[in-house]
Amino acid sequence: MALSAVAWATMLFAIVVLPGVATVVLVRSLRTEERKLTLIREQGSIDSYSPRALEELREWIHANPNDPYASEARERYNECVQTLRESDEPYYDWSADQIETLETIEE
Amino acid sequence: MEESEARTAREEWGSRFGFLMAMLGAMVGAGNIWRMPFTTGQNGGGTFLVIYVLLLYLIAIPGLMAETMIGRYTNNGVIGTFRELLGGGTGRGLGLVVLIVNVALMSYYAPIIGWALYYAGHSLLLTFTQAGFQPQAFWDGFISSPMLVIGMHTLTMAGLAGVLVFGIRRGIERVVKWMIPLLVVALIAVGVRGITLPGGMDGLAFIFTPDWTYLTRGSTWVAALGQALFSTGLGWGIALTYGSYLGRYDDVPLGGGLFTAVGNTSIGLLAVFATFPVVFAFGLEPSAGSNLLFISLAEVFPQLPGGWMWAIVFFVSFFFATFTSGLGITEVGVTTVSEETRLSRTGSVLAICGAIWLFGLPSAYSSSFLGQMDFMFGTFGLPLATLSIIALVAWKLGPERARVIELNRCAGIYVGQWWNPVVKYVIPVVVVFIIGYGVVSSIGTENQTLMILGVALMAALVVGSTVAMGVVENAARTPTSEGGE
Repeated sequence: MALSAVAWATMLFAIVVLPGVATVVLVRSLRTEERKLTLIREQGSIDSYSPRALEELREWIHANPNDPYASEARERYNECVQTLRESDEPYYDWSADQIETLETIEE
Repeated sequence: MEESEARTAREEWGSRFGFLMAMLGAMVGAGNIWRMPFTTGQNGGGTFLVIYVLLLYLIAIPGLMAETMIGRYTNNGVIGTFRELLGGGTGRGLGLVVLIVNVALMSYYAPIIGWALYYAGHSLLLTFTQAGFQPQAFWDGFISSPMLVIGMHTLTMAGLAGVLVFGIRRGIERVVKWMIPLLVVALIAVGVRGITLPGGMDGLAFIFTPDWTYLTRGSTWVAALGQALFSTGLGWGIALTYGSYLGRYDDVPLGGGLFTAVGNTSIGLLAVFATFPVVFAFGLEPSAGSNLLFISLAEVFPQLPGGWMWAIVFFVSFFFATFTSGLGITEVGVTTVSEETRLSRTGSVLAICGAIWLFGLPSAYSSSFLGQMDFMFGTFGLPLATLSIIALVAWKLGPERARVIELNRCAGIYVGQWWNPVVKYVIPVVVVFIIGYGVVSSIGTENQTLMILGVALMAALVVGSTVAMGVVENAARTPTSEGGE
């Protein structure tokens, strides 16, 4: 029995969104890990938040200064800012201008 | 001092590939290889797949991100994680609930691994291609022999203990790094062979032709929800435990969430390709469940040219799938016991594997008991454990706080605010719905008594675990006569 057009479409959809996505994610995950390890070997540490994630973290800290997790959040934020200032090559897509405008958050 | 240092130094995964294969191996089990094909077949083929994929991306992936994330955040097993996040609250007993449900699930999963081991062993002995081989009689002879089934259960637990005793990196990681790639290659090979059989394409037509009338049936959505939530490994405590061995620079959402859920389902899809063409080529019943695997396929592989080889490839890979799940499920208990007691890693492995072996004896002895355990713990225990873990993120840590502080830290993909309502509302509502559906659909059926027993057991488990954890914590706080704690 030949497959109908709709059966072909469903099969291709399933292959693309399952094994297709899994393969792409696996390759990406292994490549980014390799890059992370290389940067850590060369620099000792890497920036732990992307520009968007760090901006959200900063906003959250400002919005919740008395939260029980606020000091931990500040510590992580400041550590990331410090690492970005000291690193030659950031892990995430940070521009020099973006890094220059970053400031640590005091308690 | 040396012992103290050894106990506080926590192991980490040796490589990213090792972690990903361990997660995949833990989540891919019997549910993917035999349940996904026949659940798909029973629920409208392509329609089920479309609904399932939708729910996978909407619910399972965010849920797995949450579970893996709290493991990495606390660097603790299940009880330690609940204690760290809940402090002195009575809710920390829910950590014990997750552990007990996990051990109970493994107690009846271990005999199934034993079945897979038995068939893998016989495929290597070329039993299935011997003249006069009768698959039904072979299965009946095996399952009705307590000596054989308990023997296989014992071998399984010994094998799991033999790997787990070496720890995360030298034990689990070393095994899964070759078992999972071999499983994938084996399923692809069997799938290609099946499709090229005369009539094999009929199987694909059956599975991928959507019957849209199933779209409006509640049973299709419930089946897809159950498969998407629980066969992806959410709520077993595995993602939490494996996540606790991640390092500070490791990603969570890309590997622990997206890859684990999608990779797991991809192997289910490969199992569909590996079984349905063969099923249709030989005119078998596609919704035969476990019989399809152990009786029907054992009958058809020998009829293929080079059938002995295909039988080995299929049954050995099925054993790999179940064994690597067994490693993940058992590690949840091992990690927790080694953290919460004075036992060493070896002592914890022996204690947990011994307990699972002992509690698994009734399930190994009686398939009917195994079915009852599966009904009670699969229908009510696993949703309860899932709810406990998700509630920890959703209602205690808080999804927004968890997302900005921990989830997006060193992440391979950015997770936006859409994640918050999914974790806080959608997943808990879906899990409660599944529990409710399990109750309602059992009323007036032969499962009614078992349902009442299951619900009562889970309620008792929550109360008992909470009280037990309270007693243990109070005892730990009470100063001894020597003045120490």
